[in-house]
Amino acid sequence: MKTHKVEQLVIATMGFFWCFLMWFSTAAFSPSIAAHYHLSIKALGLLASSAIWMAPVGRVVAGWASDRFGAPRTFAVILTVCGLVSIASAFTQDYSLLFAERVIVAIAGVSFVVGIQHVAQWFNADEIGTAEGLYAGTGNVGAGMGALVLPRLFGTDYHTAFLWLGLIALVVAAWYLLRGRAARNAEQIALTRRRSDFRSTAFVWSRYIAVALMLAYAMSFGLEIAMNAWLPGYFTHGFHGAILALGFSSVAGLQIAAGTFAAVESFCASLFRPFSGFMSDLFQRNGWTPLPFIARTLPYAPRLHWLGIALILITLAMGGLTFAGMTGSLHASVLTLVALGVFISFGTGGTFALVPLLFPDRPGTAAGFIGGISTAAGIIYPLVFSASTNIHMGYLTVALYMFVPFILFYFWAARHERRPEEHGIFTEALAVEKA
Amino acid sequence: MHMPAQSSAKGPFEPWYKYGVAFLSFEMAVAIAVSAYSLFMTFHGLGGFPGKH
Repeated sequence: MKTHKVEQLVIATMGFFWCFLMWFSTAAFSPSIAAHYHLSIKALGLLASSAIWMAPVGRVVAGWASDRFGAPRTFAVILTVCGLVSIASAFTQDYSLLFAERVIVAIAGVSFVVGIQHVAQWFNADEIGTAEGLYAGTGNVGAGMGALVLPRLFGTDYHTAFLWLGLIALVVAAWYLLRGRAARNAEQIALTRRRSDFRSTAFVWSRYIAVALMLAYAMSFGLEIAMNAWLPGYFTHGFHGAILALGFSSVAGLQIAAGTFAAVESFCASLFRPFSGFMSDLFQRNGWTPLPFIARTLPYAPRLHWLGIALILITLAMGGLTFAGMTGSLHASVLTLVALGVFISFGTGGTFALVPLLFPDRPGTAAGFIGGISTAAGIIYPLVFSASTNIHMGYLTVALYMFVPFILFYFWAARHERRPEEHGIFTEALAVEKA
Repeated sequence: MHMPAQSSAKGPFEPWYKYGVAFLSFEMAVAIAVSAYSLFMTFHGLGGFPGKH
């Protein structure tokens, strides 16, 4: 079968887009579900949070599976299972069963790392940033589309929505199986498969540079999902008077204003992500290495510098959020938040422009570790934000006590001028070449 | 196996790349337009992000 890498990119992006649409479809209909089953606020919160329960462990397994069995088969299994359960949930009348089914459908969110592995197997080193950015950024839009389009198309009829989402998932799964190819050649498929054993997985998990990239992704994507949950409440409480002054007097009005500020940050973080991949390619192409300490002679050194810049910008923007909040300026706070959204995209795009180059033989395993474990940060940051005595101080606390150490560790792990992936714990015992 | 070292020479990109850059530019323009519209509406007390009216 003749194919082209752009076709593989389109298939992966469509698969990811549809998985993200399914992932967040429960949230899009949560008011309708709550009204139908008379759910309490606590039960509604549980339903909303269940979307990310499966992500940390699920992404690790999915990443390994994509190396072992190939991305097309892994993606098709995810789409098929989630599609069938989504169809089943369309006919469910018992809430406990519906809740369990929607938790299973939320497994669709683990597909991110499978597509990262798929794209990594097809694109050249000089274009990998843009390719991965287009895949991840465009696919991410599926989450926003769920909130914007599904309620308009289906109203409160979530049963029909879940049915159609599931049916189309089965069609996308069949397309992925028919046209998807795991890699450019059989040798690459065989090599990746050989490197998907336990020893190789332990090797990736114990590399300092992999841990540094995982922390970088926790600073970017982990922060993005944390802010999605935190910001509406932050603006409602932290800028109550300023929002009332804008003319939003009812509770629903406050939610609209606060939700808008949160949505804009998330929207920018998704849609600027391909640009970040392009910037990583640009740094690489021009050989820009402006930061101290970080390696300058590695084949992908400029990409390490671009990610380092992104992490510094995220940290500065977090401090800026605290400063803007303390001044009481809603406008300054929102503008800083927009900047933070763009900087977060620099971090997410910059991280996955590097992963396939650092671990070319284990892209799925590495993507699973880096893209999976980091999502736990989405649970941790809001806890720190809410623990602060002043609601505005949480950002500075996270920046100083978490992000600054993360950046220092990143600089330390990325300082090696030769094979940074060789540095870690148990290196001799885990060396695959000698096994 | 390690990725072969990249040449720092600026060779031409493959044909698909310019379409990729055009598409990501379009995505950025959408992000800027929707954000500006949403914030304008909100700061004037008229509404919010699409879908949150």
